[in-house]
Amino acid sequence: MWALLAAACSCSTTPAPPVAVRIRWAQDPENLDPMVLPNPQAIEAANLLHCSLLQLDYAQQLFQPALATGLPARQALGDSLTVFTYELRPEARWDDGKPVTARDVAFSLKLMACPPALGLPNEDTRLAYRFVHEVRQEAAFPRRVSLVCAGQAPTHLQATGTFPILPEHRLDVAGRLRRFSLAALQNWPATQPPDTGLTAFAQQYQAFRVRQRGNDLPGCGPYVLAGWTKDARMTFRRKPAWWADRLPAPVPAVLRAPCPLLTFEIIPDEATAGLALQRGELDLFPQVPARLFAQLRQSPAARRELAFHTAPSFEVVTVAFNTQRPALADAPTRRALSLLLDASGLLQATQLGEGQRTAGLIGPADPRAGCCDSLPPPAFDPPRAAALLGQAGWQRHPDGWRRRKIAAAPAPALQLRLRYRTGDAMQEIIALQFRAAASRIGVLVALRPTEAGALGAALRAGDFDLCVRTVKGNPFSCNFMPLLHSRAVGEGNVSRFGTAASDQLLERLAAAATPAQQARLLRRFQAMVREQDPLVPLFVVPTRLAANRRLAGLHAYGLKPGYALTALHRATATEPAAVPAP
Amino acid sequence: MGLHFLGRRLLNALVALWGLGSLVFLLGRYDQAGGPEQQLLPDGTEADASTESRDPAALADARQAVRHRLGLDQPLFYLSQRVPAAADGARWRWNGTANQYHRWLARLLRGELGHSLRTGQPVAGQLGAALRCTLPLTGAALALALGAALWLGQGLAGPRCWWQGPVRALLLALQSAPPFVLALGLLLLLANPRALNWFPGYGLATEDGLTGWAWFGELAWHLALPVVSLVLAALPDLALQLEAALRHELGTDYATAARAKGLGEARLIRRHALPNALLPTLTQAAGLVPALLAGALVVEVVYALPGMGRLLASAAALRDYPVVLGGVLLTGAARLGALLLADVLYHRADPRIRWAR
Repeated sequence: MWALLAAACSCSTTPAPPVAVRIRWAQDPENLDPMVLPNPQAIEAANLLHCSLLQLDYAQQLFQPALATGLPARQALGDSLTVFTYELRPEARWDDGKPVTARDVAFSLKLMACPPALGLPNEDTRLAYRFVHEVRQEAAFPRRVSLVCAGQAPTHLQATGTFPILPEHRLDVAGRLRRFSLAALQNWPATQPPDTGLTAFAQQYQAFRVRQRGNDLPGCGPYVLAGWTKDARMTFRRKPAWWADRLPAPVPAVLRAPCPLLTFEIIPDEATAGLALQRGELDLFPQVPARLFAQLRQSPAARRELAFHTAPSFEVVTVAFNTQRPALADAPTRRALSLLLDASGLLQATQLGEGQRTAGLIGPADPRAGCCDSLPPPAFDPPRAAALLGQAGWQRHPDGWRRRKIAAAPAPALQLRLRYRTGDAMQEIIALQFRAAASRIGVLVALRPTEAGALGAALRAGDFDLCVRTVKGNPFSCNFMPLLHSRAVGEGNVSRFGTAASDQLLERLAAAATPAQQARLLRRFQAMVREQDPLVPLFVVPTRLAANRRLAGLHAYGLKPGYALTALHRATATEPAAVPAP
Repeated sequence: MGLHFLGRRLLNALVALWGLGSLVFLLGRYDQAGGPEQQLLPDGTEADASTESRDPAALADARQAVRHRLGLDQPLFYLSQRVPAAADGARWRWNGTANQYHRWLARLLRGELGHSLRTGQPVAGQLGAALRCTLPLTGAALALALGAALWLGQGLAGPRCWWQGPVRALLLALQSAPPFVLALGLLLLLANPRALNWFPGYGLATEDGLTGWAWFGELAWHLALPVVSLVLAALPDLALQLEAALRHELGTDYATAARAKGLGEARLIRRHALPNALLPTLTQAAGLVPALLAGALVVEVVYALPGMGRLLASAAALRDYPVVLGGVLLTGAARLGALLLADVLYHRADPRIRWAR
């Protein structure tokens, strides 16, 4: 029966239209509502449907004007406020031909700030854009908008420009949100019931979301959603008349969209995705696992058909100590234990040597790495670790290490619990290596593989001694407060580290206005991390892309997703096929 | 067997289903680690050196707002424990009907499974879409596995033949192989440009606008390897069990008497031994029915099929309670329905069976 059916379907192995660029996703985006966007795939999809004032130029590693004509004019108001003024492009249009105006920018910000009582799923965006206090519009200049922001952090420039702009005339036909200021919505008292106009708006908006398949809202981005089968495939079709096509040449890189059809194939299994790439059923396989990447690169047949790209990313794999545990409260003990981590061996075992060792949270390929060039990467030296433990007040006994007794108090033992995400091969290898090295010098380590959802709760609660985590960064800011500030204890600061001096240093680093000031403070920050050892940076994970050679415009970048969708297209007869980046 | 019996069994099944659903509902919400509010907001522990710094205190408020929006801040059940005890010593508090369980049960009785916490889409729609992929896959696999087991079981229990030994060994080898090894093995062998590139490697029919036989052909071609993987996983148990049951039946007095009367071995098996030997196979088949609806997670992952297994696994990992509950209720109903059906078929296969009153 199968043979007959197979014959009936004529064995077409390249079913997608020839112009489509097919990219592998490991999971479904789940939701396309710009206020929700639960995973990286959803963010990638939203960037195709929506436009923001500024967008990331991957090649330059800079935010460049998209809906805005240029970077915003910046003006300090006193010493606590900053005003960013944007001019919108006159060519920018919604699909119905209406212009994108300052009203749309104000509407988008107000939508994100609606009070919780309305039941809109905007909890995250409400939090993220709290720093925008006021939206100023000028009747005479409908394309000019000024955002008054709290503080004068340099990161505000990017943050004010990177939220998706939504059409007011489609989502708030009656203009109900216009009656409220941004501050009024942000500071709506929890005890005060929402205004009837606001409630009516929320109901209308929710009804619109439900009508829209997958909650995709109308956008002014280059693509529309052409098809979505959950857990299987998502297709985007380029708008035949996108507003940016009318821009005078040269069109900015962030506003190019050369591919007429983009298909994301949702393939959870890496081996299956690898086969699909070799069969020509996929054009791009981002974030290829190290072992599969090496296998493909070593295969002559695969090398003929595929191009391979790598670049250092901004993700640093670390091991964090819980500094509030009595045994790990002192820096000398943490420093001793950090010598039990074999970063070179782990880099070889988990990335097959592809990544980079790092001395700090800024990797060696980062443009700002010069400020930590004086720090050598941590060494792997178990005998020295044992000696340092002795210096830190620990004594080795037949059953393990114990602190020297103080008076009649029981001597605490050095028994460590290491948490890591279950099913994550890289984290498991790191945990096993640490336990093996620790056992060589008699330190007892119990491994606690933990389910991903429960792991976050356990780390927030401080229910661990050590944990493996990947710290994600970017080249735009040096804001390490979510990782190591004492205010972030119970959230991102899983090390529960923080002193008055370190907090002050982190705050000054985040607010550094000039590159020179930033470099000076960054050097101090890196030295402080090394001295205090709240976490041990091990290595930088590389971006790995494998792609069909017919795909043009592909380069690997350190920022996720590791490639620029706005540059991808199929190579034409006159255009050279993709070649690996040097 | 009368309607009274069937009605009583159906009532028991409904009570069991209610108990199952209630248990999963209460256990799921009792486990607060990694709750939906933590899945819907940026995980602080995954925080990065980012351009936007969220105030930790405000993040806690946002989590509370998510819980409120999803109704998770209401009491879980009609009764809740006071910690610490009230001034009058009362340890328990009566919450009335303003509790999560009551709201869920009331909706369920109206036939509503609710909405997904992550996508906002109706759970029934999501389950229906996943079933459209899963049912052809698991249904075809179950039918083929049962048919092949009937054929192989009779052949293996029949007169000695040269192929019985190798087939039995093969079945034992397949029985010991984990499903992912079978699925990946078939994929690497038959959908690999470096080996045999005969079948598609992933997904369902990809051509848009196909109808009729062309659509069916495309679907069957894409489902061929996943179905064979499932058949190979289910077949050994069914075939070997049936062979053992047939051998037992063929050694009984009535079989000896039939042979003495001159009945051929093949006819003896088909007409007399098989109906009696089918009883354990019916139990096995009833055990496979829930998988019809729950999907086959490993095969769906390996072949990237958007079925129930993947839907329920991701819903469980992301604490999407309504989807998990909908899946559990559906699978539970299938299990109870299959057991009821097995009871009826027992009666048909062996009229000596009587139901206890």
